[in-house]
Formats: sequence, structure tokens, C-alpha cells
Amino acid sequence: MDWWLFATIVALMVISVCFIYSASYRGPGQPMPHYYRMQMIWFGIGLAVYLVAALVDYRVVCQWAPVWYTMAIGALVLVLVAGTKVYGARRWLGWGSFGIQPSEIAKLAVILAVSYYLFHRPPETRRQWRTVAAVLALTGLPLALIVVQPDLGSAMVLVPICLTLMFAAGVRVKHLAVVVAIGLALAPLGWMQLKDYQKARLTVFMNPNKDPLGAGWNLNQSLIAVGSGGFTGKGYLRGTQNLLGYLPRTVAPNDFLFSVIAEETGFVGGLCVVGLYAILFLRVLRIAGEARDRLGSLLATGVVVMLFFHVFINIGMTIGLMPIKGLPLPLLSHGGSFVLATMTALGLVQSVWIYRRVY
Amino acid sequence: MIITAPFQNSDPRLRAVGIVISLGLLVLLAALWNVQVLRAAHYGDRDQAQSLRRIRIPSARGDIVDRNGIVLANNRRSFDIVMYLEQLPRPSKRQDVGRIASETLAAINEALGTAVTLADRDVRVHYDQRRPLPLTVMRDVSTNTVAAFVEKVNELPGADLIVTPVRQYPHGSLAAHVLGYVGKPQKASDDAEEDLERFYYYQPDTVGEQGVERAYDEFLHGAPGGKTIRVGPRGSTVGIIGEKPAMRGNSVILTLDMHIQQLVEKALGHVALPAGKELRGAAVVLDPRTGEVLAMASRPTFDPNIFNPAVPARIVNAVLNDKDHSPMLNRAIGARYAPGSTFKTVTLLAGLQAGVIRPHDTIVCQGSLRIGNWPRPFNCWNKHGHGALDMMGAMRQSCEVWFYQRGMAVGVDRIAAMAMEFGLGQPTGIDLGHDLAGLVPTPEWKRQHTGERWWDGDTAQMATGQSFLLVTPLQMATVAATFANGGTVLQPFVVKRIESPTGETLRETQATVRRRLDSPPQDIELVRQAMEEAVQAVDGTAHRAAVKGINVAGKTGTAEADTAHGRIKRVWFIGFAPYEQPQVAVAVLIEDANSGGHTAAPVAGEILAGIFGKRIVATEDLGLYAD
Repeated sequence: MDWWLFATIVALMVISVCFIYSASYRGPGQPMPHYYRMQMIWFGIGLAVYLVAALVDYRVVCQWAPVWYTMAIGALVLVLVAGTKVYGARRWLGWGSFGIQPSEIAKLAVILAVSYYLFHRPPETRRQWRTVAAVLALTGLPLALIVVQPDLGSAMVLVPICLTLMFAAGVRVKHLAVVVAIGLALAPLGWMQLKDYQKARLTVFMNPNKDPLGAGWNLNQSLIAVGSGGFTGKGYLRGTQNLLGYLPRTVAPNDFLFSVIAEETGFVGGLCVVGLYAILFLRVLRIAGEARDRLGSLLATGVVVMLFFHVFINIGMTIGLMPIKGLPLPLLSHGGSFVLATMTALGLVQSVWIYRRVY
Repeated sequence: MIITAPFQNSDPRLRAVGIVISLGLLVLLAALWNVQVLRAAHYGDRDQAQSLRRIRIPSARGDIVDRNGIVLANNRRSFDIVMYLEQLPRPSKRQDVGRIASETLAAINEALGTAVTLADRDVRVHYDQRRPLPLTVMRDVSTNTVAAFVEKVNELPGADLIVTPVRQYPHGSLAAHVLGYVGKPQKASDDAEEDLERFYYYQPDTVGEQGVERAYDEFLHGAPGGKTIRVGPRGSTVGIIGEKPAMRGNSVILTLDMHIQQLVEKALGHVALPAGKELRGAAVVLDPRTGEVLAMASRPTFDPNIFNPAVPARIVNAVLNDKDHSPMLNRAIGARYAPGSTFKTVTLLAGLQAGVIRPHDTIVCQGSLRIGNWPRPFNCWNKHGHGALDMMGAMRQSCEVWFYQRGMAVGVDRIAAMAMEFGLGQPTGIDLGHDLAGLVPTPEWKRQHTGERWWDGDTAQMATGQSFLLVTPLQMATVAATFANGGTVLQPFVVKRIESPTGETLRETQATVRRRLDSPPQDIELVRQAMEEAVQAVDGTAHRAAVKGINVAGKTGTAEADTAHGRIKRVWFIGFAPYEQPQVAVAVLIEDANSGGHTAAPVAGEILAGIFGKRIVATEDLGLYAD
């Protein structure tokens, strides 16, 4: 067991519950939604899943990678047919009040599938185009299914996962460069397929004052929240941007939770959060380096890339560095599916650590 | 090490991934530093700008009281029924605001039995721009309505009763022209514009529009307070951050004596005018020892209480724009008239001082006088002629012919110089503003303005207060006061003292001597004696101003003037009492009447009798024509 990793996870969970509480706080004596309690339940389930995943040998789990992958694809197809429509996108599979996002499962499935595939290829074939094409196909199918939901943000996460896994597995840098170049060349085509609101959200970060009451509202209010927090913040439960609802209450506990933290705890708090993530990522990378085999190494690398991409896009979004994408902050944002996906992924990584020794 | 481990990794590609991730996190930290530390002040300002609102709270004006502390202007409480739009059921769409507001309004109307309507547009503008402020539905409602409202208030969410100060003048039109009135500022002054920037929600003060209310506005208006509130993204109040109460304005203590003012107002009401004629005129009472204005009234008048937001604009504008009557005009300082024979006092003093007139100069009045080659004779008011008159007789009888002749001997330069000595042709400097200068003509002036030469006829007319001479009633009151006090020209004033709300004296007006006449005391005394005779002598033209028990001195005047309404007579009385130790100086002007002796002198008599607690001398017809 890597206790540093575990302690970091628990620290982030504590912060999460505290600030989801703050994000839904309306003032003394005011009724408030109990998001933080739901988050605690999710964390409880997540910890259980984590322990199970950690104790089971990751190689056993990976044996089943083709099955997980097929199930994920099945779920993605199902959500397109029978999913619940929220804000015009079918992202949720629900039974009653319980709902999951198959796209979160798909991220994990892709990591497992690609790692499993690359691990089983003989080392010399990894330098061939065939391997590259196969990995792209493995990634491309779920990516396409997520794009049509539409959920651009989640789909985009698959791209760095896939590229980094190939890089870590030893695929030639030249091949990867060609892939990236083709992808960039095709980007304008993709841009034309986007709906206007998606374009607006993608570009507003470059000029948040262009449409301050519309597309720019969330970003502007987030910037004001983060900026007015200053060095030490306004104090717990005292973030006026959040408290008064300038930071919209629908997004404060999830996509914009970092804004709440930064407003109330300032740069110091932001530094702590980023620091915790740094510990988390580098511990996972260390596990990747110490794994008993390349399968474990790739698995850990895939997980760290997925989490890093989420963190970078989400925090970047709250301070106007990145486009507005609905990517949650790992272990902090409110939301069950991603908590479970993250905890499963980190459990697998812990398993890689536990089973690192060759007896 | 927990962090550096990946960088010591043997696999260079994993190390590369670790470096990229570390760099990514450093970029985030750098950006965070930029937003939270380098630009913290900018975003802090924006935070405050969008969530903090400053509301200006208007101050209550100070009181205006008479010299004895009797309140002439203060504030009463107006009960206004208002709606707080932010407390109404939250509209889902902006367009619904008008509907929700009118539902509440209907409930208010039903509860109170009223039928008030609001323009949909006004409600929406208020909702968008001034949401935390109350929207006034009914102003200044009766106590019955207040009682009915209080009973039902729990069934009327969003509706409330607020108390606002409204200026009131307890004595109605009494001294209206001196007090003035208040109104909403027409145009934002520089000061207000500055305030507009500081205050997101601007509630203006009322502003003094005339008289003391305007001239002493800076002392009366007090200091506005402020309230800082925090608003949510929809503009609704979420909390009060700070509050500074408004400072009440200072009290202004006038020189007016309410008792004398009432006497003057009443006496003006007793003026006998031919049927169909409306009284227009003015009366001023001064203290000749200080220049204090004890009373000042002008007719027609107005009720300053109508300048109240609850009174329909139609009624207010009818008074403000009444060109036929000009009720807002303070005729005591804002209108100019020929002084007529009251000016003979000035001519006489000029002649005595120059040695041209001596008390025993005797002239035979035959009812008219021919001057130069002028085709028509210059008439005396007594067509039959006064016969032989010395100086006293000429003043008592107000003989024109005597003054034509002696006036020409004195000459226009001396008469004009003496008029200027008395302060005629210049504003008196009274602290009310709108103080007209009048006109003292000279040969130079005539040439410039008419292109004609000055001739003896002009001098003769000027000597009797006609020609181009123009004066205000207040100026003539200061002439009377100057004779009363033996030759000191004082600057009249209406504000005696200004007191802070805590009773501290901020300013006290001292008597201001504008000039001392050069004339020898015995010459001034001769004119005073002549004025006394004009009143006290049974055949004096000013005898109707006589009061039992005290010696009154004075002079009447009747000046003919050509106006749009034809040739009318301005009738005057100026005087002072008691003759021995004068305490009051009076000037009365009626714009259109028969004669000073018949119309103006009795007004002064009634005022003086009232002031000294005496009865006026019976004014049975003495069989005299009075000038």
C-alpha cells in the first residue's frame, strides 16, 4: 500500500466535502441543498471500490479488458438510445434518481484496453504503424460515441490518454508527430461541425467581456471570485461571489468548485490544492516507474494523464486559461460517476504498487 | 522522496511525462498568481462594483422661524404607500414584473378602496434600475388610509408604509415671498453630478426655489446620508453593509416678526379697490436702527404648500405660469415703479444741503406751471392751486408746482446725486436675491437711451418723483428708514441668525451701514419735520396714516404710469414712527389705485396702529384731495 497516495486522496476528499458544503451554503439559517452529504456517500462507496480494486491483482482485472471495453461501448450506445436528456445532451443512464455517465466508465475502459493491447504486442511491433492504427481505432470508437452525445470535454480526455500511452509504450515519436499533425490539420473540419453555443464556450476565454451576461458570465464571475480572493481569501463560507449567487449555483459545487475554494482561501488555498495534485500525480508516476511489468506501468500512466488533463482543463477554465469545458475536478467536484471512476482508477494504481514485487 | 522519485526513473519516457505534468501544474500556479495576487485589486474592485450599491438618503431641511421663534417653515411627515419590487413574488420573466406589480397594486386598491394605477413602463424601469428602493404608489395619504393600510398590511406582501419629510408652511401664504418654496432639482448641479457617480441609487434632496429657501439653501439643506447595501446577481438586496444617517439642515432665524407680518398681510387685505380690480402691491416694514426687515408682503401671493409631490403638476404649473397675475413675483424687491411724491423727500434734502431751498421759500401755486416752450402746462394735483406755500406747506400739501420750481433750481445733478446717496439706482443688497436696482436718470443716461437732450421739464418731473425714476418698494422703505435714523443708509436683511440642529449659532447677521448721508443733521431734521407735518397735520395729505398716541412721519405719492392696461396710478406711502425715536419704517405700494393719501396711507396707518397697540385717527373724509 502506498500510504502517501492514500493520504493525498483522503485529504482531497475532506477538502471536497468542506467546499461543496460552502458552495451550497446560502447564509445562516437558510435552507441549502445537501450536495455535500451525497458526496460523502459517493466517497464512501468510492473508498470501498478503491480497496477492492487495490487488493485484486491488476493483472486479473486487465485480463478482462476486452470485456470492460465492450461493456463500455455498449453503455455508450445505450445512452445514445435510452439516455436522459439534460441541457440537450444525452449523457446520463439512469434508473430512477440514480444515474451514471457512461463516458466516465469509457475513459477507464480505454486506459485498460489500450494498456492491455500495447502490453501484449511484441516490443518490435510497437515501432510499426499497425500498432498506432490499432490504438487509434480502439480510442476512436468510444471518442466518436461520446462526441455525438455531445460531450466534447470527456471525448477530448481520450486524446492525451491515447497519445501518452503510445509514447510511454515506446511508439516512435515520429509516428506520434504525424498523428498529431493530421489531427491538427483536421481540426478546422471539426470546428465547422460545432454548434454555436459550443463555439462560444470554446472561444469566450480569449475575451470574457465580449458577452459578459451570456457565454462570458460564468467565466467572468469565476475570475472575479478567484481574483477577489486575493492571497489569503475571504474566509470559509464568506465567499461573496459564491454566497450571493454571482457564481451560478448550478455550477459552483461541481465544475466551478475550484473558484469557490480560491475565493475563500485565496492563493494559499489554490497552492495547497495544486500541491496535493502534484503529490498525487508524481506518486502515481513513481508507481508507473516501479511497476513489475509494462502493463502496470501503462495503466498508472494512463490514469495520471486522465487525472492531470481534468485538473489542468478545470483549473485553467476557472482562471480564463482554458476554454469552458464541463470537466470535473478529480476527487473535488460533486458528482458520483466521476468519483467512482477516479477511485477505481486509483485503486488499480494502488494494486500495481501492491503487486509490484516479483516473487 | 515522495515527489522527486519519478524524475530519477530509469525510463526516459516516463520521466518526460512527469516533467510535462509538473510544468503544467507550474503554469496553473503562475496563472493563479497572476489572477489572485497581481490582479487581485482589479478583481476585488469588480467584485464590489457588481455587488455593492450606495444609496443616498436625502436630508430633512432645517426650520425657518421668525425673530421670536415662531415656526414659519418646517417638515411634516408624509405617509407614502410604497411597493418593494424585490419582495414581490419573484417573476420568472422580466416582462412579468408589471403584471405582478399590478396584482399587488390591485390588492392594495381593494384593501383601501382606492383606484391608483401605475404605468407598466415605470414599474419595469424601476425594477431594472432602482430595485432596492421603494416604488411610491400613493403619496401623502390620509390618516384613515394609513389606518386601513396598517390593518391589511400582512395580506399585502411587498407593500409598505414609509414616512418621508415634506416641507410645510404652517401659516400658508403668510410671508410666502420671503420664505420661498422648495421643489425637486430641475437640473443636476455639479454637486449632484458628483454624487451621481458616488451613489448608485440617487435620491435627490428638495431644493429651495425662491426667497430664503433658495438664498439660504446651503444652510437649510443639511447633509445627505448614505447606505451601502449588498445586492445579489438579480439586483435584490441581500444585506446592509453600512449606514450613515442624513444630517438635518440648520435652522434659519428671520428678522421677520410674525405679529407685524400678520398685521401687514391683514392691512393689505383691507385695501379698498374699485370693483373688478385685483390688489397688486407690496408692503415692507423695516427696523430703521438695524435694517432688519420686520415684515414684507407682496400681492397677489401664493401658497408655498402646493409645491409638494402629492399636488398634481397641473395645479402647480397654473400658479407658476400665471403671467396675468405673476403671483410668484415678490413686488417688494422684484418690480420697479415711479416713486411719485414720496421722492420729494429726497429732492428737498438735496435742495437744503445745496442751500438752494430754504424753509421760508414761498411760492404761489396756481394749479399749473409753464416750463420752457412746452405746449402744455405742468399741472399740480390740485387744479385749483394751493396758493402761497412755504416749504412745510408744500410738503404737507404735496404741492407739485412748488417742487417743479424749486427742483429746477436744485438741478438734476444734485437730485440724482442725492438719490444715489440713498441707494436708489442700486440693489439694496438684501439677502434674498432678485433685488432690482431701479433707475436714477441723468442727462447722460437720457441721451444714451432716448437720444434726446435733458431739459428743465425733465428736472421738474424728476423732482416730483416722475420722469424716468424707478424704485422698488424696499428701496423706498430704506429711504424712509434713512430719514428715520437721521441719515444712515442701512442694508436691509431678513436672516438674523443661523443655528445648527444642536442650537449652536453658526452665523449672526450684523447691521451693515452702506453709507452715511453727507447732509448736515439740521437739514435732515427739517425733512423729518416736514414728513411729520404731512401726517400729523389735519390737512396733511398723509393724515390717514396718523395713529392716536404716537407721532407718525411720512409722505404719500401718486405716480402716473402708462401700462398695457392703460394709464394707471401707482400709489405710495413711506414713513416711520414714532417720530421722536423711530422704531419702524414703512413703505406701502399699490400698483393701481386712486391716490397715495386715500389708498396707501390708511394701510400704513393700520400697520403702525397695530404695531404700537394704538388706534388709528378717524379717517372721515376731510374734504381734501389727497396726493
